[in-house]
Parts: sequence; structure tokens; C-alpha cells
Amino acid sequence: MFLINCPYCGERDQQEFKAGGEAHIERPKQPTELSDDEWAEYLFMRKNIKGVQFERWNHAHGCRKWFNMVRDTSNDEIKAIYKMGEKPPTQ
Amino acid sequence: MLNYNSVIKNEMKQESISVKEISPVIKINLRGKKREFLTNVGKNLNMILPTEANTSTTSDKLTAIWLSPDEWMIISNELASKDTNKSDLYEMLFNSISKTNLGAVIDVTDQFVQLELKGENVYEIFSAGSPFNFNEFKEKKGSTAQTVLNHIDVILHHKDENILNLFVRRSFAEHLCSWIEDCASRL
Repeated sequence: MFLINCPYCGERDQQEFKAGGEAHIERPKQPTELSDDEWAEYLFMRKNIKGVQFERWNHAHGCRKWFNMVRDTSNDEIKAIYKMGEKPPTQ
Repeated sequence: MLNYNSVIKNEMKQESISVKEISPVIKINLRGKKREFLTNVGKNLNMILPTEANTSTTSDKLTAIWLSPDEWMIISNELASKDTNKSDLYEMLFNSISKTNLGAVIDVTDQFVQLELKGENVYEIFSAGSPFNFNEFKEKKGSTAQTVLNHIDVILHHKDENILNLFVRRSFAEHLCSWIEDCASRL
């Protein structure tokens, strides 16, 4: 059990949240001009690294808001939490 | 159509806790972000919507529960009439907010079941099925929380010391009640 600090509701247990995958993936401006490989790269390919990763999370059983999280995937340490639309922290 | 069939037939009473359904109560879900929305609701309801997280505001007739930065639930403090499905409150809000595109007004009267939980050991039951930390919630009258209880989504509202309102989706209500009953019997 670990706690996540929802930027809207405060500290809640992890079981109230749902992970939403990697954050800050930009949708291509002209999708029709992409090749199949480039489209697949955007649609499916994720970093999934061991270490510090930028992720989206959703407080599914609480306020139902999305937010971003910087998490170390090797030890689940949460480095930073910030709202959608905010700039990711640099280090 | 309003469903006036009670989910729990009799009030559940055990040594440490009692549970009863409060019905029919008008429940309205409000969503909106604009400033005009907030002032319009304030004028219509004669009360201010809570903007601080996990809190509620109460007037003589209504209680507004904070659900998210742009979502609230309005409940009536008194019982509604059993003879009609219409509520003036909903009509009024719908006309002044939904129709003018300021926000969304949804009647959730039938969606949620309101249970009143009373007793000294209420929080011990919660600690058996919910990961939420009730230390602050317990102390502050009017505080609210959305969390899970025995894996079921619930909205909690602190009404008075050791008295709380619990809102649960209708299809889960019976199951949750049996769980509470079972849990209370083991305290």
C-alpha cells in the first residue's frame, strides 16, 4: 500500500487510482501524412523504462480528475505530481 | 420514474451501529467551471457551493457536497413528496443553467441511495473496508469524502458526531448493506 497525493483531494491510497500510461505524448499534427510505421510508433510504442518515468494517472474512485506524476518505476518513489496542462518539472 | 422501493426493508440495528435508508430525497449533480455558473447557482439556491476540497455547505433546505473542482452534489435536507416525480429545484436549475449552457444539471435522485449510519463504531467498520484515513474526517462536521468501501464507490458526508450520510449506487446498495451488517456483527 502506498499513498498518492491527488492534486485536488489530498493524500489517498493507491487503490483509488488508475494508471493511464506515459504522459506528454503529442498527437501528430497531420496524421494523414504519416506512414504506417510512424503512426504505430505514436500509437503503440512506449518507453517503459526502469527508472524515472512521466506518467498520467486518474483518481478513478475519487474526484475522477487526471493528473501527471513523475515516478521511479524501480522503487515506486513518487518524485513529483502536477496537474494536467502544467509544465513537467525539470529534475 | 422515481423508485420508491426501499433497498433495505427495515432499519438495521445492532449494538454499535444502525443503518437506515433515507428516501425520497432529491439529489442533483451539478457540473460547471465558469464564474457565471457559480454566481447563478448561488443565486438560485441561496447558498454558496463549497470550493475547498472534501467539504460541504448547508442551508436550511439543502446541502451541497464537493465532489471535484467542477462537480457538486446537491441534496435536500428534508424528504420529498412521494406523490410526484417532479422537483421544482431541478426544474429551476435546469432552466437557468443547462438551458443557458453554463453547466450541466443532472437529476441523480434514483441513481444514489442515501443511507444514514449512526453509532459509535461506524469508523471501525470503515477501517475494515476502506483505505481512507478518517482521522480528520471524524473531527470536522460537514466534511465529505469519495472513496471505496469494500471495493464499492461511495460518497460520505459527515452530518454530526458519529452520524454520517453514505451515498451508494442503487445496484450496489443491497450488497453494501449486507456487508455492513456482517461486519458489524463481528465487532
